[in-house]
Amino acid sequence: MKALTAVLIAILVLLAAASLHLGVRFTPPAEVWRALTAGGGDQTALIVNTLRLPRAMIAMIVGAALAIAGVLMQTVTRNPLAEPGLLGVNAGAAFAAVLVVTLTGEEALAPLMAAACAGALLTAAVVYGVALTGGGRAAPLHLLLAGIVVAALLASLTQILLVSNERTMEELLFWLSGSFADRNPLFVLPAAGLVLAIGVGCLAAAPQLDILSADETTASALGLSVVRMRFAAIVGAALLSGFSVALAGPVPFVGLAAPHLVRRLGVRGHARLLPLAAIAGAALAMAADIVSRFIIYPSQAPVGAVMAMLGVPVLLMLLHRRAAGVGL
Amino acid sequence: MSAIMQGAADRSAMPRHASAPMLGLVAAVLLAAMLAGLSMGSSPMPLERLLPALIGQGSATDMLILWTLRAPRVLLAGVAGASLGLAGLVLQRATRNALAAPSVLGVTDGAALGAVAFLFLFTDPANMLTVSIYWQPVATALGAAFFAMLVALLAGRGNVGPVSLILYGFALGALARAGVTLFIVAGPVYRASQAAIWLAGSVHEARWSDVAATGLVLSICLPAVVLMARRMDQLLLDDNSAMATGVAVRRSQFMLMGLSVVLTAGAVSFVGAIGFVGLVAPHAARLLLGLRALPLIAGSAMLGALAVIAADIVVRYGFAPLEVPTGAATALLGAPYFLFILFRARQNHA
Repeated sequence: MKALTAVLIAILVLLAAASLHLGVRFTPPAEVWRALTAGGGDQTALIVNTLRLPRAMIAMIVGAALAIAGVLMQTVTRNPLAEPGLLGVNAGAAFAAVLVVTLTGEEALAPLMAAACAGALLTAAVVYGVALTGGGRAAPLHLLLAGIVVAALLASLTQILLVSNERTMEELLFWLSGSFADRNPLFVLPAAGLVLAIGVGCLAAAPQLDILSADETTASALGLSVVRMRFAAIVGAALLSGFSVALAGPVPFVGLAAPHLVRRLGVRGHARLLPLAAIAGAALAMAADIVSRFIIYPSQAPVGAVMAMLGVPVLLMLLHRRAAGVGL
Repeated sequence: MSAIMQGAADRSAMPRHASAPMLGLVAAVLLAAMLAGLSMGSSPMPLERLLPALIGQGSATDMLILWTLRAPRVLLAGVAGASLGLAGLVLQRATRNALAAPSVLGVTDGAALGAVAFLFLFTDPANMLTVSIYWQPVATALGAAFFAMLVALLAGRGNVGPVSLILYGFALGALARAGVTLFIVAGPVYRASQAAIWLAGSVHEARWSDVAATGLVLSICLPAVVLMARRMDQLLLDDNSAMATGVAVRRSQFMLMGLSVVLTAGAVSFVGAIGFVGLVAPHAARLLLGLRALPLIAGSAMLGALAVIAADIVVRYGFAPLEVPTGAATALLGAPYFLFILFRARQNHA
């Protein structure tokens, strides 16, 4: 397991390095190093320090946040297909953020994040509530379908808001497809702190999360307050989703693919699953970000579109395994 | 031919559903909605001015507004809505899945991908098309057909439950949407915001040529769907029983899927990806008209037309002077309805 951790970290570091070197113009390692250590005002230093470095950091933070959110949602719903994008939580956060931008013109991080988190929390409550009204426990696929449709609904509401404000429309359109580029570098530190805080909190609760992923009777027999734990986990996931949407727009499928990848590598138990999924999510987001610079070179593709292309095959595979009776 | 005659015999044997009065009622509401669509707008036209203008005897301004702006818009909404309603009904019967619809199964997104891919591939650096725009519907149909085929292939293997089928459709739809985004960002496709409005579905800026093209597709497909009515009824049975009634199940399903693809592409080419109409119209029709395919065909088409015309009136009136995409309004109506069906179906299972 130590080897696996080391390999994942190595991949992450390699991708981070690549992310600093690659772009419309390749920057040689010596120049990147000089820019990072010595700073300076020349063009290369500016590109590396103010464009590529924050971009890589944001990709890492968002990827990790979404992966942790995915793990939490999958544990709470006992459904490996649950993730912030598919359950509509990202769409809710995006709608709330667009609403705030449209109404107030505010583009600072704090109000945007507050709005996105509120939207994410509300949507998570609605989707889970709707799924539960179907009678008894939410069936896995119905929960997902409810999430997808709620996401469609929120997307069309977002669209109505968008056309009402021509000024911000083009910018918001790109943001709505997910992007790590051209974000305010000042956002990096506070966002990293918040994600880290929630991540550490989840790690501390890893034993309880393990119990939660067993069935309900076992959980209550072991003295766990299932309802309270579940509520806390959903809140945590929604907050992480809100942070990441405020930072980078809705980025789909990271929360699905990263935990799945780590589970396939044989990782069980939240104490290991959470940190490794976070690393894998960061690596995945960074990889998608690098691909997005080249897939329609010289234009930049929204990372959300790239992630969809990477994530849809994973979703199809999970659905297929389910249909084939392999179980989840 | 004999199949048709058999069908006629069967129909007379079946207890007659009181569908004729209900269909008449739906037609009347549709007519009223069309008149409302024609008379409402930034300069409202009351009936006493609308009717003369309709028969060619109104004032010059009224005639201009009516015949170049509103009539094509209302007709395009109606024809596209009818196509989508029919496409949904046919798809629900072909997949035996009450939740199926072109927009739900990714067919609409596939069609949109075909359309933007066409614009991307055949636009020169000066933003001029290198081939006639009339090829665009063909590209749209190819995109729709490709994604319908993918869904059918994935779902055809093993026994896929109704909800899984929808999820396969959604996953492929997400893939198509990602492709659309890439083409829009990469391509010289006008301005991104315009493309976004078109993708969300919109009937503003309707032209007579659009009405004619969409109408042509509908008028070719509608008789084909009517001819398939009996098979659509037989497909309500499970595979073995359906085969026992003498229907070639797989071939009928394939033909119905094909019709659904063509109808979807015909609509999406000219109005963009208006969602949820193909889901809601057949459902509403079934509530009003029962299960038999023939009245359902008429009902789904009329209710689909009604839905898009009404949605267009809502966005024109409710959000003026903004140009909110019509598809946003149909989604606001359709998405909650989808959830309602989803959970009612689930409770029946339990």
